[in-house]
Amino acid sequence: MKLQKRTFGSLLLIALLLLLAACGGGTKDGGTATGKESTGGADKVDEATDQKITIFQSKVEISDQLEALAKEYTAETGVEVEVWGTTGDDYFQQLQIRLNSNQGPSIFSLQHVLEAEKLKSYVHDLSSEEYVSYIAPGMELKLEDKIVGVPYGVEGFGLVYNKDLVKPEDVADYASFVKTMEKFNAEGINGLGLAKDAYFLIGHISNYPFSIQPDHYAFIDKLTSGEVTMADTKEFQEFGDFMETIKNNTPSPLDVTYDKEIGDFAAGKSAMIHQGNWAFGMLSEFDFDFEVGMLPFPLLGNDKMAVGVGNNWAINGMKDEAEVQAANDFLNWMSTSEIGHRYIVEEFGFVPALTNVDAGELDPLSQDVLDASNKGQTIPWAQNYYPANIVPNDFTPVAQEFFLSKDMTGKEFIDKLDDAWKNAVK
Amino acid sequence: MKKGNRGWYILFTAPLLVIFTTVVIIPFLIGIYYSFFEWDGIAANPKVFVGLDNFIRLFDDARFLKSAWITTVFTILAVISVNIVGLTAALLVTSKLRVANVARTLVFMPYLIGGLILGYIWQFIFLDVFTLIGDITGLDGIFFNWLMDMDYALYAMVFVFTWQMAGYVMIIYIAGIQGVPNDVIEAAKIDGATGWQRFRKITFPLLMPAFTISLFLTLSSAFKIYDVNLSLTGGGPANATEMFAMNIYNEIFGYGNYGFGQAKAIIFFFVVAAITLTQVYVTKKREVEM
Repeated sequence: MKLQKRTFGSLLLIALLLLLAACGGGTKDGGTATGKESTGGADKVDEATDQKITIFQSKVEISDQLEALAKEYTAETGVEVEVWGTTGDDYFQQLQIRLNSNQGPSIFSLQHVLEAEKLKSYVHDLSSEEYVSYIAPGMELKLEDKIVGVPYGVEGFGLVYNKDLVKPEDVADYASFVKTMEKFNAEGINGLGLAKDAYFLIGHISNYPFSIQPDHYAFIDKLTSGEVTMADTKEFQEFGDFMETIKNNTPSPLDVTYDKEIGDFAAGKSAMIHQGNWAFGMLSEFDFDFEVGMLPFPLLGNDKMAVGVGNNWAINGMKDEAEVQAANDFLNWMSTSEIGHRYIVEEFGFVPALTNVDAGELDPLSQDVLDASNKGQTIPWAQNYYPANIVPNDFTPVAQEFFLSKDMTGKEFIDKLDDAWKNAVK
Repeated sequence: MKKGNRGWYILFTAPLLVIFTTVVIIPFLIGIYYSFFEWDGIAANPKVFVGLDNFIRLFDDARFLKSAWITTVFTILAVISVNIVGLTAALLVTSKLRVANVARTLVFMPYLIGGLILGYIWQFIFLDVFTLIGDITGLDGIFFNWLMDMDYALYAMVFVFTWQMAGYVMIIYIAGIQGVPNDVIEAAKIDGATGWQRFRKITFPLLMPAFTISLFLTLSSAFKIYDVNLSLTGGGPANATEMFAMNIYNEIFGYGNYGFGQAKAIIFFFVVAAITLTQVYVTKKREVEM
């Protein structure tokens, strides 16, 4: 009995200590963080080298590289740069929470004008800055004639394929696509790999039926007002057929992470994956002995690559003057210095959207994107004009249901996407 | 109360009252205020007063009603399984089992792990270990990735929640069992009552106060579950495990409907309060005095 009491007692003590430790840690962190916020202003005026800026951005693929760049910047200028991490999917929510509680970053990323519109009281006007003049024509993020964002780079996505297994004519239209997928299925190879994360599952691939419309802005407006439905539009009908073919001939993407998607492709287990040129960063970490390239997704015989600006750097104008200036200096340095250029092209693997940056030796995927872009063989990114958050909130559950239910047809899938759209704009 | 004690009394109560007021009462009142507005949560954007519209709209929100149903099913299953496992474990570790002390520690341990980490651990087990066992043994009717099945994902949640909570209610039951007077048990033994009779007629009724507490704790935490939900299934697949709390979070931060989400949260509060108070009232009545 005594022994039992003692064990129970010590167990309780441990639990209490753990609790205390957890609480103690929390308050301490909070304390120093707010301390810095409040005294930061005073320090900055006294000593410029004490300046600190924070960066919060949504592109997981470049987190490590960005941190390395931040270190180089600190070494060169003495300005401390802190990079905050995120998992990507709920980036905008996290950003909103931080901004609302006055703990926002100095530099953040915006995907498109809808997000800029939402945060219009925060975005800083960059129009008069020198580095903004290097942005490639038409690629800047504009809000009411003011430039509020500098593009990360242009990006493109499509069918990333293994040149040993797939020839471009194998996926030139729906009929050849079906034949190719069935052939790979019979051979036990994954014909087209997707991954379970919102954008890799449905976000990007859902672009095509919108982007190949003659005017996708007008189409999206009509869809929102209920004048048209996806189910009645031929682009979407064939898109449904494509999705059905993919489902019937490939393993379920819902068990596949982004890492596994790329890994399987590098190992030759997948002949194609639906990805963008950003995937080459991870792909190059694997050993693979075949050539890769990117092809357009052949919806209704489409032969153009989906190219756009995925992300823009923006500055938090609500910060004090010194911090805004420091953030500006950082963006300027990144856009004009040699080190900055090297990172944009080599480390981030971006196809530069700045005219002063030499694209240099691009990786094969980016080269395909740049070629398509130079030839004008591109379709836009309609996803930039989707209702906010529709991909994770509404499209993803539908796509999950589609891939889980064996007997759900492509047509039913499109009907559910229609419902999802209505729900997102209600 | 002695006069000298009053100072101590205030010293220890006041900080708690201040904290409780600032982190619970005030936000709750602000939440009620927001629930009458349509607002997208960005400080600089306008708040539009809509009266009770948000509360009326709730009943047209199919996804919210579905999540209410899922939460109810989950809570019923979870309360039953947590209490059965917890009580069984308590009975085992208070018997003269040689490994009783070790067992007690081991069963309690999961409760010390945070719900988020726990969810990620089990996500790995379901995804990698389960599928592996299924592949090797051929029992892929049981061992497959439960999290990617629209029905089984909910059972997976119940399973993990039980694993987490059972140790905690076990401690409460142990205290209850140890509170049963030895002389009564001994008297029953002398009268020739079997082990089962002693449990059924003496221990069980005297455990009623422990039931009140355990049921209250499991009921309220099952209803409010968020962390395990987020890390284990994320509400998926296809929203099949989106519980109340997650639905509210998604409404507020996913769709940016602060007012509407707050209205949901207020309703949620009253539902949880009503259910748990009823339960406490009912079980309290059944408690027996020695």
